[in-house]
Amino acid sequence: MSEPAKPDAEADALFEIVRQRYGDRLTQEEKDEIRKIVRAQVEAARALRPVRLTNADEPFQTFAPYRAEP
Amino acid sequence: MKADVLFMPLRELGALLKSREILPVELAELYLERIERVGPKYNAVVTVMREHGLSQARRAEGEIAAGNYRGPLHGIPYGAKDLLATAGAPTTWGAAPYKEQRFGFDATVIRRLEDAGAVLVAKLAMIELAGGMGYRQPTASFTGPCVNPWDSNAWTGGSSSGSGAAVCSGLVPFAVGSETWGSILSPAGYCGLAGLRPTYGRVSRHGAMALCWTLDKLGPLASTADDCGLVLGAMAGRDAEDPTSSARPYRYDAAPRATFRFGVIPNVTDGCEGAVAENFKRSLDVLRKIGTVEDVTLPDLPYEQITRIILQVEAASAFEDLIESGGIAGLTAPEDRITPYARDAILAKDYLKAMRLRGVMAREIDRVLSRYDALVAPGRINEAPVLGREFRSAISATAKDIMGAVGNGAGLPAVCVPNGFGARALPTSIQFMGRAWGENTILAAARAYQSLTDWHTRHPDLP
Repeated sequence: MSEPAKPDAEADALFEIVRQRYGDRLTQEEKDEIRKIVRAQVEAARALRPVRLTNADEPFQTFAPYRAEP
Repeated sequence: MKADVLFMPLRELGALLKSREILPVELAELYLERIERVGPKYNAVVTVMREHGLSQARRAEGEIAAGNYRGPLHGIPYGAKDLLATAGAPTTWGAAPYKEQRFGFDATVIRRLEDAGAVLVAKLAMIELAGGMGYRQPTASFTGPCVNPWDSNAWTGGSSSGSGAAVCSGLVPFAVGSETWGSILSPAGYCGLAGLRPTYGRVSRHGAMALCWTLDKLGPLASTADDCGLVLGAMAGRDAEDPTSSARPYRYDAAPRATFRFGVIPNVTDGCEGAVAENFKRSLDVLRKIGTVEDVTLPDLPYEQITRIILQVEAASAFEDLIESGGIAGLTAPEDRITPYARDAILAKDYLKAMRLRGVMAREIDRVLSRYDALVAPGRINEAPVLGREFRSAISATAKDIMGAVGNGAGLPAVCVPNGFGARALPTSIQFMGRAWGENTILAAARAYQSLTDWHTRHPDLP
């Protein structure tokens, strides 16, 4: 028998967004599964947060203004 | 002719077509007969392009007879992953909600291969929506799981599953697949093929299903690294229809190189199956005959989390309509029907942090790679997973996929080729990953490796 997961307020709050938006389509079993997925997503995001960046570290994606030619 | 031709390297097959010892129509008929008779055994094909293929083959035959030879792919049949738009045939994206979908145009890669004289004979099966909804099992396709020609109880890998099965079983000499994270290298590795993931932007994505705009790449699966280079040469180049395609010119250079510098991440085989680790060790011995092999330490960054967050957010946005409408309920895999809902809970700030860290990752890995011709690693951590099980939870190995995270996150090219067999007599593989735009270098390394080994000449028993 697996140990119950420890409470995670951030993951629970984010799961609540999903439940509010889509809860009427989901069974309790599916909601439980999504709660685990949200928790894994939060843990992935937490792995990014300690890495310090400078103000000059821009998103690595080029934006270009658009003008139809001619 | 049959057995000799089915797995013949493209360069040799092209020479026979050029000299008219083989005619394009008879070659197309040979493969079409196998596609129709054998294809269903592997769930490899979505749409047989018989009339279209024979029409292209007749045109090629006339042009070659008239002395208008277009190049090494002229008259050679191929298959395309069913996420590439083709006028006149459905383009299903492997997903039931799109099984009647049609486009009135050809994807740029389809047009470019036609310009090179290649003959499209099949649209090939794939994992639904290229696996971007979080699939965990081989059955995640409305056409059923692709069966590995090496073992009817094993999967081909995905998401370019049909591309792997079709080349491996001699249904086509080469196929086009796509990779967002692992979708070319996985089926190529599990099926004992060469698979090339080009640099992001090397090949136009116009007309290809968008899963992740900043991660999707199109590339070939074939019998050898040289085959992959020949196909890339026809596919690559700037396309006004895809603003992310690069203006850097590409010309495949098949000239051999005398020596190479290879880097290996220490403990890269941790978590790999035993035979995978053993075969990789033997591969390094082979590579030492053509160059140096040095340990390389990568900077400590959350590589997998960076690439995964980008993938999850972009895929959820690309399929926003399907998800919010509840249309994902029509997908085949139960996990694909619910996992995308969770992605609404990823914060925009975290996505942007991943995109900023991606720049750090790209610069750091380029600094490392600038000292080497390629980083090498096992292509896959295991032999092909068993059908009928969730492969993400069922695999015995637990290795992280740092090479996949870095390579796809930073948009770097990689080629994998077979390097042996595992405990279940299924292929294992080695991958060569290079600097951005360094396809010719990694292909030269893979060719050199293949010149010293014969794994690519082994094929499964064919029906």
